[in-house]
Amino acid sequence: MPSSQLSYYILFSNYLQGLALHDILDGEDIPNRIAPVPRCVHGGELSCGMSLMIEPRWIERVKDSIARHNAEHLNIVSLEGQNNPHRDQYC
Amino acid sequence: MSDYRSMWQDLGMDLENHDLLCQVLPTAVGDVFLSQKNRPKAMDFWDLVISEVHGIRPAELVKAQQEGRKVFGTFCVYVPDEVIIAANGIVTGLCGGSQFWVPDGEKVLPKSTCPLVKASVGARLGRTCPFFRIADMYVGETTCDAKKKAYEILGEDVPMYVMDVPQMKRPQDIVRWKDEIAAFAKRVEEFTGNTITPQKLAEAIKVINERRKALKRVFDCRKSECLPISGRDALLMMQISFFDDPVRCAKMCNRLADELEQRIKDGVSVAEAGAKRILVTGTPLAVPNWKLHQIIETSGAVVVCEEMCTGNRYFENLVDETQETLEGQFMALAERYMKTNCACFTPNKGRIDDIMRMVKEYHVDGVIDCNLKFCCLYDTEKYQVSRALKEAGVPVLSLETDYADTDAEQLRTRVGAFVEMISAK
Repeated sequence: MPSSQLSYYILFSNYLQGLALHDILDGEDIPNRIAPVPRCVHGGELSCGMSLMIEPRWIERVKDSIARHNAEHLNIVSLEGQNNPHRDQYC
Repeated sequence: MSDYRSMWQDLGMDLENHDLLCQVLPTAVGDVFLSQKNRPKAMDFWDLVISEVHGIRPAELVKAQQEGRKVFGTFCVYVPDEVIIAANGIVTGLCGGSQFWVPDGEKVLPKSTCPLVKASVGARLGRTCPFFRIADMYVGETTCDAKKKAYEILGEDVPMYVMDVPQMKRPQDIVRWKDEIAAFAKRVEEFTGNTITPQKLAEAIKVINERRKALKRVFDCRKSECLPISGRDALLMMQISFFDDPVRCAKMCNRLADELEQRIKDGVSVAEAGAKRILVTGTPLAVPNWKLHQIIETSGAVVVCEEMCTGNRYFENLVDETQETLEGQFMALAERYMKTNCACFTPNKGRIDDIMRMVKEYHVDGVIDCNLKFCCLYDTEKYQVSRALKEAGVPVLSLETDYADTDAEQLRTRVGAFVEMISAK
């Protein structure tokens, strides 16, 4: 995956909200992956957390699903370059 | 985002320093796991665990402690989880897999100590890992010299029990290990206030055997020429199994295995056509040590199995469930655990046999034997591993590394050349 690729991240107050939307999207066959919240999104806050990572081509369907189900979430952000398999920076 | 700060504060963690680790983990997870295409859907469980790795499970452990249960931190697959579970205790694996913890370990240990030991000590003394803060008692073992001396240092900071692992595998050594397990059980009873009965130990043996069977189902799927899961994903599953609840672990691994078996039937493979199949052997890969797998799997190859503690050794060989007395059960545990072929034993021909068997079972094209720097045992055993593989005509690459990123390019060059060489055969 090229390092400039855009991804959307749905943020939540807690992982239960995240899993609830994950199940909704799975039920509607909308691809989504559980992902750690990229640090640049919440920089400085001292906690970890899950987000849902969405490819750009699905984001409108995701927003529609969120609206129909009144799914709880904090925000939807878009970021580039988060997943670079050749970066070789581990932790 | 879920807020675990108050839990971390109550655990006495150094929040500022811990936050530095929290800063780098999302990027590593994204690069190693989320950059992959066509991952099994069932990996969502482990994606959740790693996304909240210092949150969800630590919170479960804290809640269990509030309900009166004791948490035991362990560092070796020789320590019998069954004994702890039979006393209503909880086991959490504690081996450190991050460079982040190494500097704190180097404040009390020589730099010429393996990074796994340095990271494990550093995670505790630096107060930057909730699992290390939560465990009521640490259980060590006399496998290698570095660990033996590290446990003396850790034991000044946390209750520590050390099991004396035999050096050899003669019949008298298996009896000795049985006696060690019995002595450990007594200590666990004293520490938890719970009696270990044959019935409770039988239930615990069954729980852990079920986890072994579930892990084995996933590994069996990796034997298929149509490879349904990457080595990176299998490694993550394996690493998390060391600290997750064993019943849930078995359930999730069985769910994953169901999907993988279906993928094989449907011809869904994560490997590109022609990707070379690699067996990785050597020192264990504790979470979040993903460097080697990442380099291999982004260099035209796939990791199809691991001959190591964070691989086959964790699930191969079940404990005999037919024993009805504690003496019989302790012996059954000793017989099963003594089949683990760690380089701390002499001789260790069983490991060579395991590697050769797995090369055949997993249709391996090449073996990468990698030890952590300063691990004398695995580094020395490379000679016998290489010799056996070369005699069998199996290509082998011997590597040594640590947790730092600084050698990643060199590793890529060497792994890339190895993959090219076996591709040209």
